[in-house]
Amino acid sequence: MTTMNPGIDAAGVEKQLIAFLAERTGAEPAPEQDLFDAGLVSSMFAMQLVVHLEDEYDIEIVGPELSMDNFRSVRAMSALVLRLRDSEGEGESDREI
Amino acid sequence: MSNPTAIGSTVIDTAEIDALIGDGPAAWDAAGRIPVELLRKLGASGVLCAEVPARFGGPGADPLANGALTAHVGALCSSLRSIMTVQGIAAAAIRRFGDREQRRRLLADLTSGRLAAVAFSEPGAGSDLSGMATRIRPVGDGSGDVLVTGEKMWITGAAYADVILVLGLHGEGPDGAAVVVPTDAPGVTVEPVPNPLGCRAATHCRVLLDEVRLPAETVLGGGRQPLPLLFTTALSYGRMSVAWGCVGILRACLAAATADARSREQGGVRSADHQLVARHIAELYTSERIAAQVCRYASEQWQRGATDMGVAAVLAKQVAATHAARGAAVAVQVLASRGYTDDHVVARAYRDAKAMELIEGSTEISQLILAQHALDTT
Repeated sequence: MTTMNPGIDAAGVEKQLIAFLAERTGAEPAPEQDLFDAGLVSSMFAMQLVVHLEDEYDIEIVGPELSMDNFRSVRAMSALVLRLRDSEGEGESDREI
Repeated sequence: MSNPTAIGSTVIDTAEIDALIGDGPAAWDAAGRIPVELLRKLGASGVLCAEVPARFGGPGADPLANGALTAHVGALCSSLRSIMTVQGIAAAAIRRFGDREQRRRLLADLTSGRLAAVAFSEPGAGSDLSGMATRIRPVGDGSGDVLVTGEKMWITGAAYADVILVLGLHGEGPDGAAVVVPTDAPGVTVEPVPNPLGCRAATHCRVLLDEVRLPAETVLGGGRQPLPLLFTTALSYGRMSVAWGCVGILRACLAAATADARSREQGGVRSADHQLVARHIAELYTSERIAAQVCRYASEQWQRGATDMGVAAVLAKQVAATHAARGAAVAVQVLASRGYTDDHVVARAYRDAKAMELIEGSTEISQLILAQHALDTT
């Protein structure tokens, strides 16, 4: 899906994530709001969220990247997406070995 | 059913598996144990966690091929299929949450004969994550070691396991962690629950973890993952595996019922020609087809990485387990006295299928998840 998101930046990813969360949870989160504290992320939705990020931004989120710190808020997820896209091709992905 | 199952570039020889299983299942069920050498042999061939990619030493089956394999084994022995389920859950969790070194080391272990179990449920926390009491605490002395303390219940396959993947709270929570606990580590006690209703040879164990001290590299990805993410990722593999296992149960029941209905005569006509028996056969056939299709759909969603794959797994498990429980009861009805002893395939199916309505999210919990999904999306 890389071609669908050319030249994305933090503001753009945040906007897309807020729209996705609003659509799926019925509540529009603020960029820094703790999504888990707010109860916006159910068990089932947590996995959907990871799959959505991987698919939408053509990244792979495994191992230590699945730390809570990367998922706590829209801002944290946006930073994760941008960092993983930047490091793409540096051999972090076990699917590419 | 004895044809090899084509899996990507790999072929899993089910004939070889069939030869290893032989006529063992009824005796294993009675004894409450599968010979552990057999499990190690199957483990070393990779079929207990067949989706592990070849670069990690596994067969590299895709979800559909693994489903076919799981149904194949499920038709022969639900206890053995349960061991596949937990080994597969452990491998899936390691693949997702482990760091690169952990993925290499642990997946190689799980495809070379080492056996794994996974520990979710606790006496005070079945499906309710907020009741989780197990703690994985950093010791905090600079060693990086952790202390694992808690009580886990109904842990399938723990009696055979070399390692148990334990899920719990990281530190004082609320974040979670998954830790690979060797069963021979000091502080680990494994006690099989006597006389379970079904899947008797899988073993269901109470696992006590008393200040088990382990090095940092046993904690997958360093821990501190969202607890719901840990659980759903691991449980979803389990649900797919149980669902396909239920397809196997239905196939075994259908084969036994049709064979009996063809050969048995009553009042001068074949049993199959009695309309009420024919209806039972039709219902069994229908159940098998429904379960197989819903499982196929869920596996395809997994293969695509669709965002509804978790819900599709719940749906598959829910539909397949309820149909298997109903279908096994129908098969016992058709065979009547001929299938009435514990060692008969339909009697085992009757007990095993009921257990499938309870595990990896009971029928009622699955319905709650499906209802919530429907309310959220339609």
